[in-house]
Amino acid sequence: MELNFAHLYGDLMNTYGDLGNILVLKYYAEQLGIKVNVDLVSLDTPFDANKYHFVLFGGGQDYEQVVISKDIQNKADSLTNYIENGGPLLAVCGGYQLLGQYYIGAHGEKIPGISALSHYTLSQDHNRFIGNIEIHNDAFDENYYGFENHNGMTFLGDEEQPLGHVVSGHGNNGQDGTEGAIYKNTFCSYFHGPILTHNAPITRRLLKAAIHAADPDADLTPVDELDIQNAAVDVPEAKHNF
Amino acid sequence: MTIRSSFAETVGKSSYWFLHTFMKGGSSFPGRIAEQIDPAVLKDLGRNYDVILVTGTNGKTLTTSLIVKVLAQKYDQILTNPSGSNMTQGIITAFLTDKEKPKRHQRKLAVLEVDEANVKLVSRYVKPKAFVLTNIFRDQLDRYGEIYTTNDKILEGIKLAPNATVIANGDEALFASEKLPNPVIYFGFDDQPDGDVVATPNTDGVLCPVCNHILHYKFITYSNLGKYFCPHCGFHRPALKYRVTKRIHMDPTSSQFCIDERPYAIQVGGLYNVYNALAAYSVGRFLGVKPAQIEKAFQYDEKVFGRQEVIQLGDKKLTLILVKNPVGLNQVLDMISTDAQPFSLGWLLNANFADGIDTSWIWDGNFEDFVRNNDVPAVVTGGDRVSDISFRLKIAGAPDDKIHPNQDLDHFIDELKQVPTDHLYVLANYTSMLQLRQKFADMKLVANRM
Repeated sequence: MELNFAHLYGDLMNTYGDLGNILVLKYYAEQLGIKVNVDLVSLDTPFDANKYHFVLFGGGQDYEQVVISKDIQNKADSLTNYIENGGPLLAVCGGYQLLGQYYIGAHGEKIPGISALSHYTLSQDHNRFIGNIEIHNDAFDENYYGFENHNGMTFLGDEEQPLGHVVSGHGNNGQDGTEGAIYKNTFCSYFHGPILTHNAPITRRLLKAAIHAADPDADLTPVDELDIQNAAVDVPEAKHNF
Repeated sequence: MTIRSSFAETVGKSSYWFLHTFMKGGSSFPGRIAEQIDPAVLKDLGRNYDVILVTGTNGKTLTTSLIVKVLAQKYDQILTNPSGSNMTQGIITAFLTDKEKPKRHQRKLAVLEVDEANVKLVSRYVKPKAFVLTNIFRDQLDRYGEIYTTNDKILEGIKLAPNATVIANGDEALFASEKLPNPVIYFGFDDQPDGDVVATPNTDGVLCPVCNHILHYKFITYSNLGKYFCPHCGFHRPALKYRVTKRIHMDPTSSQFCIDERPYAIQVGGLYNVYNALAAYSVGRFLGVKPAQIEKAFQYDEKVFGRQEVIQLGDKKLTLILVKNPVGLNQVLDMISTDAQPFSLGWLLNANFADGIDTSWIWDGNFEDFVRNNDVPAVVTGGDRVSDISFRLKIAGAPDDKIHPNQDLDHFIDELKQVPTDHLYVLANYTSMLQLRQKFADMKLVANRM
């Protein structure tokens, strides 16, 4: 079996090690003897919704995100089709924001997303949510761990479930106790770390979804039996002195 | 001189005397006191100095040291600030404690490393003769934000001194993005034939600063540096005044190369250090230092390259290297890969505030190529985030039985002594480096001060 991964705007949206998510997923796919091809899909190149079994859409710098906000409108239909058809997608930080209706930029301007999902993102004045975060997903009864570092305050739409409820940290907006979003096989989050390097259950779920997308008849028990690991989640407190 | 700044200077100096005499160190405390009494104290302090400000995200310290070495071939006394004391308070302290102050009607040189965000705070009061710009890579983003913001902060400082000459890395597209009133001199590499390539994905800063399309390159030296051009709007690398024209030989402990067709050597590896030497060369030439003198200045140098210390640990030769961001890390991995002898690897990772509290950046390092291209028999990992760095190496393809995690620093050191090679490299970020060096100091393997 072969899996095709798309790294959406991977040359521009690549802050905070988001690439690590692809590396981890690829590593464990290869443990199962599956070959993984990774394509860069960036400015002026179309997104082929039928080709891919997993898409990573990472976070970027404000400047790059504004540029992408324009280009991605040309990919809005194909990305929306991919998501609606249950294609597995992991969107982090800026990628998460751009899948929604809009976000507010560094100078207060409203920057359009593609409205594939119905969340929207406002901005905070002179503040960022920075630090370690832990959330709980009720449906799967799992805890997830990450590092958040964002100015945006995202509010979910009706069709979206949160990735989890905040145990400690800030989450989507610091107000409603939610973090991230799940819609079909699209997982969104503000977690860096990167997210899959600290959360083996999400890695396993995305790997299953990708294999299923490539072959709906594939036997998924090898994924259940695979020893998927992550870096330790009980990290020491950062110190000012040492 | 105003009474206020005179008072500020006196208090600052006496606090330095007190600290230096009784507390074994000066730090930036005298500067802090002086600045509190008179924020403009720098104006008087810097009055009789020709000041060269060195800034950029990577390589400031080494470039500053090299510039001082080069200029010392021509100038008798040069004031500089110690590594790390690169905010205004540290710079004020440097002026306060200059033992050989310039006499009336005399100019003295000061070569100062300045933190990117502090450039305008310094150039507001001290009128610099030159700015030296090394590069702009992503570095501790939780502090300043983005490469564009960092560049803007530097530009704000430059604009306060429109007569100062800007001596900038021409291979960095951001440094040519804005037309400045200042005289500008570019340095860069011209040692490869022209082709047409783009940067690897996961490289920062690849957008054309004029039209926002992806930059192409005739060639890339590393990361996003090189002979860039934009196929969309025609923006391209400006003409270079000083050029590396050939790389003769590179290994982890030495680099030989030609600048403007003339050979030079430095006793340190890493392409990024050739850039640092090129920057120092450019400043030297700008101030009339002769090529033969520069060659001589490059020759003797152990202390300058202190960030790559070699330590004898039992029967092992250990090279200690500071890494703090992906670009630096990739350069170090590339440099180590040029070693012809077998080696083992040590890795210490902390996440304290001085390190940046997010360790995600290790995933931007190109460990995959490193593991694929080098047969490293043992990797010893440690630090507060030992699990993160161990998992990173595992995912890059290092076999589990070759990764040896040791959270405890004493155990980490014991394990280093057990590696199967005579030589090992230990990579560490800032606070873990300090902790390890403290241990080595306790073991009498290194002198105390970094």
